[in-house]
Amino acid sequence: MLFTSLEFFVFLPLALLLFSLLPPAKRWIWLLLVSYAFYGASRPLNLVYLGAVTLFVWSCGVALERTSRERSRRLLLAAGLVVVIGSLFAFKFYDFIAGELERLAGQALGSDTPISLPRLAITTPVGYSFYAFAAVSYLIDSFARRLPGPQNAGQVALYLAWFPKILAGPIERATTLLPQVAAGLRADPARLVLGLQLIGWGLIKKVVIADNLAPIVDKSFGIVAFAAPMDLLISVYLFAFQIYCDFSGYTDIAIGVSLLFGLQLMENFRRPYLAKSTAEFWGERWHISLGRWFRDYLYIPLGGSRAGPVRQYLNLMLVFIASGLWHAGLGYGVGWTFLVWGVLNGAYQWAGVATRPFWRRVGERLPRISKSGPLLALRVLLTFHLIAITWVFFRAKTLGDAWLILKKIGLNLTEIPSLLTRFPFTTDHYTAFALIAFLIGVEIVDERRSIFQRLAAASVVLRWAVWYLAILALLILGRWQAREFIYMQF
Amino acid sequence: MKSLGKSALLFIVIGLALYAGVYYAAERLMVQTGRSNPFFKIAKAQDSTVDWVILGASHAMPLDFADFNAQMERETKLKILNLAAPGAGPLYNRFVLEHFLHTHRARNLLYVVDSFAFYSRTWNEERFTDAKLLRRTPLEPAIAWRLCDYARHEGVDGRAVLDYVSGFSKINNRERFQRDVWEGEAQFERAYRPASNAVKKRIDYLYPDQTSPAALARYLDEFSAIIALARKVGVKVVVIKMPVPPRFYMQLPEEAGFDAAILRLLTARGVSFHDYSETTDDPGLYFDTDHLNRAGLTAFFLRDLKPVLGSGGG
Repeated sequence: MLFTSLEFFVFLPLALLLFSLLPPAKRWIWLLLVSYAFYGASRPLNLVYLGAVTLFVWSCGVALERTSRERSRRLLLAAGLVVVIGSLFAFKFYDFIAGELERLAGQALGSDTPISLPRLAITTPVGYSFYAFAAVSYLIDSFARRLPGPQNAGQVALYLAWFPKILAGPIERATTLLPQVAAGLRADPARLVLGLQLIGWGLIKKVVIADNLAPIVDKSFGIVAFAAPMDLLISVYLFAFQIYCDFSGYTDIAIGVSLLFGLQLMENFRRPYLAKSTAEFWGERWHISLGRWFRDYLYIPLGGSRAGPVRQYLNLMLVFIASGLWHAGLGYGVGWTFLVWGVLNGAYQWAGVATRPFWRRVGERLPRISKSGPLLALRVLLTFHLIAITWVFFRAKTLGDAWLILKKIGLNLTEIPSLLTRFPFTTDHYTAFALIAFLIGVEIVDERRSIFQRLAAASVVLRWAVWYLAILALLILGRWQAREFIYMQF
Repeated sequence: MKSLGKSALLFIVIGLALYAGVYYAAERLMVQTGRSNPFFKIAKAQDSTVDWVILGASHAMPLDFADFNAQMERETKLKILNLAAPGAGPLYNRFVLEHFLHTHRARNLLYVVDSFAFYSRTWNEERFTDAKLLRRTPLEPAIAWRLCDYARHEGVDGRAVLDYVSGFSKINNRERFQRDVWEGEAQFERAYRPASNAVKKRIDYLYPDQTSPAALARYLDEFSAIIALARKVGVKVVVIKMPVPPRFYMQLPEEAGFDAAILRLLTARGVSFHDYSETTDDPGLYFDTDHLNRAGLTAFFLRDLKPVLGSGGG
């Protein structure tokens, strides 16, 4: 069930209605049932995977709680991590690796398919990448005794299955969600209004902005060899905004829906294209819940930056390679492009760490210039372009396609002014540019002070006018033809 | 809490008023840009009685491209109303005919059959939910009631009713300022260069499901209902198959079985049937993989269709 489907707009009020009729302490049971109904609606078999993961990690959690011997606890944790991460890896990569091995063997032996490896051929459960990481977080937090006492199995099930976040996050922590559930769920009017506003803004990002950019991007990335350099350049820019609006739109809706039920999920995006460095982009602004997951459960356990510069560089690259592997299968298939995407982002972090002392010195010696508006704008633009280059690998079907896109654009960079004047811009292009300009405007205003805070302080006439305009934009400009969210496909 | 409820109610009331305004504007715009939707044509038909009403899917649509319908009317001195719609199977055509007969009269019905339309829900029940058709269908209580009826009894998705009544597809129409012209009409004058890959893609598109005897029986029943409905009000029925290129015809799945089944049905009901499928081989007489262009249609009309229309279908 998509957040943008009619079914969801019937499902949500019904879920909310019964929720409000139940006593707060028992509401989580209803939310668990609702979450299973939501998740199992499109493919009931998905519930088997979810149920198995839930039962497994809860059992591990109980065992970790009851076991006092450190060695046994470590073994338990290791077993739990191997099962959850191993299953995720197998779902994502087993068939791909088997295919690649067959291909390599074929090339080496000069035959098309000299070997035939068995395949899993499993339709991977949607959202598995997200709830597997939530399950890992639960296991590690149980091991570290960050969770208060033995956990209610049903509430752990709700933590993993909570329907707004199960398909594409945020990757919430049990340490923040379970206490809210245990305390009893209550929705107050202020949270309701904020929740509805977030849902509205998320829908605008998804169906008005992302889905209006998607056809232009799909066309150019579809057959790269036939696409003109200008088409590709425009599509690279548009894809940067498409993926942002698609993914952050989803999480805005997830956070908004959760607020309606009295649950506060963590912030997942903070105007990422206003980041002034790639470190800021990944660390503080883009997919924050995943960034923090990698920081807390991989980077810091590996030693982070405390184990010397060599280890720091190695740890950074490992984190980004792992992030690249995790992203494989989310929307654009499984391929080597995701590895390159991870390595490229890791290389950016290396460059950032290596040049940090230089920029610090510049900041100390030229404080006015380093904080001047034009330089900050330049840094924002540079960061955006660096990230946009990585998105080419994320979106392209193959490494060859990605390379061809960058080559075609690179070789024609000097021609761009003349290509621009001759480019046959369509209404779709102008609509896309106008929507992006609107988005950037909103984000700049929001960066200074939250739009929602501004709205809350505004007169009722202005507030309502904004809401009506948003609803009309959704009705008139939205593309509602059930286009899936990019990140919710695995 | 009471004032919050009042505010919410006021917000909804203003919102509904705004929605009504937008809906009205969308409906007006639809009227200004309307052209090929069958319900729009019925609403705008100047004559309450026509000599021929034409039903079918896209193969029948070129008969109303550009000025071709007027040309046929001049040549035959008959009033012809073409209500064919892209991808419309017997169920959708019955829906159109019922509405037409509710407000108009016809002496003859020319039904252009295509086998693909008898094998899939895509061209029947699911056709009703197509936003492209809904956004060009004028709002009329009679259509809404009939649509409700089809949702209750014919397996049409209830969302089609909701969409039609709420006008959502009209408000959300991305082509709101463009004239309602089927994409094929822009190519009506051109001659097509054959490509086998294109034909295969087209066939795959037209036959999304396996051809099954059960589906065929289901939609032949619908087709029988159309004949019965026409006969009940004294409308004579003629069934034809339009010419298609040999390269296309050869790849149609189960075409012989379909021909035999439809012939059996029509013979049993005494309806005349003219199969022109293989009468126009030259690919230069088509504007795409399977639709006649102006030259092809003119030749077909003068040679085959004109006598049929002129004789009242005899």
